[in-house]
Amino acid sequence: MSNPRASPDARRRPFPITPRIAVALSILVAGALAWMVLDAPFAKLVPQEGGLRVVRAFFARALTPALDYESPVPESTPHILMQALAAARRTLVFAAAGMSVALVLGIVLGFLSTTAWWAGDLVGGSSPLRRALARTVGPAVWSASRALIVLMRSVHELLWAVLFLAAFGLNTGGAVAAIAIPYGGTLAKIFSEMVEETPRDAALALRGAGAGPLQVFFFGLVPRAGPDLAAYAFYRFECAVRSAAVLGFFGFPTLGYAIAQSFENLHYGEVWTYLYALVVLVVTIELWSGALRRRFVA
Amino acid sequence: MTSRTAITTLDVEALRRARPRSTLVRVSVLALLALVAYAWLGGDIQVEDLFSPRRRENLERFVTTDVVPFALRGTDWNAAQYLEYARGLALDRGFSGLGSTLAISVLAIVLAACGALSLAFLAARNVATPTPFGDRVLRDSGVRSRAWNALAVVVRAALILLRAIPEYIWAFLLLAMLGTSAWPAVLALAIHNAGILGKLGAETVENLDPRPLSALRAAGGSRAQIAWLGALPLAANRFLLYFFYRFETCVREATVLGMLGVVSLGYWIQDSRAKQYYDEMVVFVALGAALVLAADLASAIVRRALRRAQ
Repeated sequence: MSNPRASPDARRRPFPITPRIAVALSILVAGALAWMVLDAPFAKLVPQEGGLRVVRAFFARALTPALDYESPVPESTPHILMQALAAARRTLVFAAAGMSVALVLGIVLGFLSTTAWWAGDLVGGSSPLRRALARTVGPAVWSASRALIVLMRSVHELLWAVLFLAAFGLNTGGAVAAIAIPYGGTLAKIFSEMVEETPRDAALALRGAGAGPLQVFFFGLVPRAGPDLAAYAFYRFECAVRSAAVLGFFGFPTLGYAIAQSFENLHYGEVWTYLYALVVLVVTIELWSGALRRRFVA
Repeated sequence: MTSRTAITTLDVEALRRARPRSTLVRVSVLALLALVAYAWLGGDIQVEDLFSPRRRENLERFVTTDVVPFALRGTDWNAAQYLEYARGLALDRGFSGLGSTLAISVLAIVLAACGALSLAFLAARNVATPTPFGDRVLRDSGVRSRAWNALAVVVRAALILLRAIPEYIWAFLLLAMLGTSAWPAVLALAIHNAGILGKLGAETVENLDPRPLSALRAAGGSRAQIAWLGALPLAANRFLLYFFYRFETCVREATVLGMLGVVSLGYWIQDSRAKQYYDEMVVFVALGAALVLAADLASAIVRRALRRAQ
């Protein structure tokens, strides 16, 4: 379609409107329409008096992050670098705890929401019972788990956090659940898509050798999709660290909390200290994930 | 193997021993397991507190009273009445919030794509050299080569910085500088996504088949011509796939950014949260979920069409 040679008409026109160009043009038009709908005058892009003061004071500290608190603190407060380290540690802890639950949810729901275990040529046995199961229980569980996945992932992690805050009050378990639920849904969706797209030769061979549906799935399909699954899960871990940091804006003791506090106290040097801590944390994980991906996928 | 059936345990053992192994992967797995164990056992997370009587009372009140619309409290559950209530809220504030959420995400992703498009080529190691797609022998190792290399490194570092800081924090900072309008939310989303799209774009360009581009080079094409007329059309489908993938996340994030005070759906979520009108809050959260779902669906349809056109 995108090849101009495919259509003689397109070749004659000086500027052929291929589907791709049509998509690109409509994207630009959509952007312009969106701007007209919004309250976003270009004048508002330039900081005004108060904002300008913030800009100056904030960026003045960009290269000199605070190495000490900018106002007196109680004797017992740990040094700001220790404080940043502790906030980074808690950010990592929330992300890891949330991801560990999300991974379990993702694997279980991802398995249930593939067709491999109940439909098609991977399911063995033609006994009446098996066929009846494939016609009733299979589709029912499959659609239920897909609906659950949609519900889990269409609500943003911060909105889950807000719901849990309203339902339980401030509790660290709520923060973990807020990460685990939407991330579990996303992992389940991507896992099931990856497994469905995996070549099925090994699975069919196992099936031929008499393996049951679970064995076919976990020994025939999952290992083939394994590197991609692992790489994606690790990428989500990276996202979870960012989400955990932002949860701090809702009162959880992660880096976001420290950033919001210092910013509101106009201690911009401290803000930079915590921002750099976040950047170092995220970049370290991204480099790690990149190295792993090259090892896995290449 | 001598015959098809004679796979002995010895063969399997030999195969197992010959499998590819990586120290990095092993150490990473161990480190991650240790991290998860530490996260749960380190005392930072109090799960049992979630099940304490006080929390249970909270939850009970939330489910049985707080989320029930004020006018309907004490009456029997009636789905028609609830839907009427939700419709009223949606017409009053919800739909206008949905509209601005969508507009914020569309404008943001278009800006992000424009930014990423210009940065992706500068960050791609096969374009940012003195002789893009040229003969390796002719590649000079002098000042020009080092300058191009430095440019690519700087652009890459900038892209990392842009995407390392979450949208929410960008919006928080920009709001204090620009004051209230839609711009802080739009720019925050655009900045973060430009970092992600720029990286993905650069990887796409680096993985392009170099042969057609070398042909352009041999025919005397300039760097800009090769990038614009050679690499861009070759990478366009992938770019568009990434664009729509990030658009989905933009819609999710745009909902939430409103909580900082920009008028999107999140503004009304935060507003009802502050007033402790949890009955309203739940309706707005559900509206947001419906928008995310619609955007996912639209994006999935476009992406499937793009993949088929590839």
